[in-house]
Amino acid sequence: MLDRVFQQLDQLVLQRTEGRWFIAHSQVPEVLAEFFDNSGEPFELGDDLLFLDNFLIDADAHWQSGADFPRHSGTWYERSRSGVDVALEAIALTVDGSSILVIEAPGVKHELAASKLQAAREHLLTEERLEQEMRKRTAQIREREEQIALRLLAAAGFRDEETGAHVRRIGMYSEAIAKHLGWPQDQVDQIRMAAPMHDIGKIGIPDYVLLKPGKLTKEEWSVMKRHAAIGAEMLANTGIPMMDMASDIARFHHERWDGTGYPDGLLGEAIPISCRITAIVDVYDALVHERVYKPAYDEPTALNMMRELAGNHLDPNLFEVFLELLPEIRRIRQEIQ
Amino acid sequence: MIQKKICLLGGFAVGKTSLVRRYVESLFDERYLTTVGVKIDKKVVEIDGRQVNLMIWDLAGEDEFAKLNGSYLRGASGFILVADPTRPATVEKMFELLQKAQQSAPGARGVVALNKVDLLDEWRLEEAYQQQLQALDMPVLRTSAKTGEEVEALFVKLSSSMLLGGQGDA
Ligand SMILES: Nc1nc2c(ncn2[C@@H]2O[C@H](COP(=O)(O)OP(=O)(O)OP(=O)(O)O)[C@@H](O)[C@H]2O)c(=O)[nH]1
Ligand SMILES: [Fe+2]
Ligand SMILES: [Fe+2]
Ligand SMILES: [Mg+2]
Repeated sequence: MLDRVFQQLDQLVLQRTEGRWFIAHSQVPEVLAEFFDNSGEPFELGDDLLFLDNFLIDADAHWQSGADFPRHSGTWYERSRSGVDVALEAIALTVDGSSILVIEAPGVKHELAASKLQAAREHLLTEERLEQEMRKRTAQIREREEQIALRLLAAAGFRDEETGAHVRRIGMYSEAIAKHLGWPQDQVDQIRMAAPMHDIGKIGIPDYVLLKPGKLTKEEWSVMKRHAAIGAEMLANTGIPMMDMASDIARFHHERWDGTGYPDGLLGEAIPISCRITAIVDVYDALVHERVYKPAYDEPTALNMMRELAGNHLDPNLFEVFLELLPEIRRIRQEIQ
Repeated sequence: MIQKKICLLGGFAVGKTSLVRRYVESLFDERYLTTVGVKIDKKVVEIDGRQVNLMIWDLAGEDEFAKLNGSYLRGASGFILVADPTRPATVEKMFELLQKAQQSAPGARGVVALNKVDLLDEWRLEEAYQQQLQALDMPVLRTSAKTGEEVEALFVKLSSSMLLGGQGDA
């Protein structure tokens, strides 16, 4: 009776006699008939059944270990004479000291597992495709934003010491700091585009103040300071996150950590972090480059001056981060002249 | 006749089965039917007047559902690492499987198939990957199972390199 049970389950029970010689302990089920000897005599396995040939090495080790649990080969396919691929599986186990090899054709069971896997992988592919599409779209939007930001800057013109190279460096220094702080990528992109617009409000400052060679009078200073609010208003209320950040940066890049800055005299962390970052790199870049009113300081001198500013003018914690990133900062400075 | 075992490795749906099918049967199917289990094909290839019987093991693509069984790689003289650069994650996966292959079959020769070159416009091979590929000590071919481009060359290159390698007959 057991024999017919195995047959109905499409299983074939083989007992090893020696080496690669086996004898069938059950009738060979029909699906397996063309792959396995049906005569009832011992026969040698392997050779034409390449997969099984390889599995027998694992099976051998398994039998020798005397383990009391089965070892599965995993599914493989044999091409039948009619050209159909038949899924097979082998199981090695030890029973009463005998080395047993069960061969089965999992048939429907296999098809079910396969169709589940098929569905799961197709689902993964669809997800991958959607994700890629989304990433592509996002990159496209970023690129457009960047283009618009650049045009805006170009339109505002660079009338004083704020050059195109300066504002690009500011963007990239800020990006490096934001990245180091672990900001999400979209915000890192935002600050790279937003920081360059910190002084865009200078478009609203008359030449006689902006370009005045000597010292500014008190009134002229108060005109000059208006560039922060003007820039902020220019960039405000678009509903575009990058522009919102740019508006903040324009407004607050002259605020100081100790509350003595302008226009609002914000104190410490009340100043948005994007603005505190921009303030640090703006000061650095101004110090190490020549301006009409000052020579270019060498870096050690500039850093010493900044150390004096940390804690009163600049955010001292961010200044530490800035120092850690100096190699990267220098690289950007070299690159964008 | 010399016999050589070669294994195809790579993430799922990169075109392992399609490459074998193109090479052995000169056929291609647009439909995706995932391989569940191992399928071994044979083909005789002639290299410098010598006949080599290739035993080509098409292994199920590795992913979160299925891990590569190392004992499938035993006795392999060569492996073909397949990636689909339209899906960058499969390039990453390929490098991962390369390490696995080198551990399981240390003497085996390798060749990389960047597949689906007919979709070159959609390839997204990052600079870092390109450098990693160049640094590899193995041929890198741009193949298409769909058009047949470089498929024959893929198997021939690997076979020649296996013969030079002088690995014992499998
Ligand atoms: N355009 C194009 N499609 C290909 C190419 N090669 C394979 N495909 C398609 O990609 C999908 C996956 O191909 P398969 O050969 O099944 O991939 P596989 O690596 O064997 O996949 P798994 O068995 O799941 O690991 C199918 O839809 C193929 O038609 C190719 O060179 N070009
Ligand atoms: Fe300013
Ligand atoms: Fe500036
Ligand atoms: Mg496949």
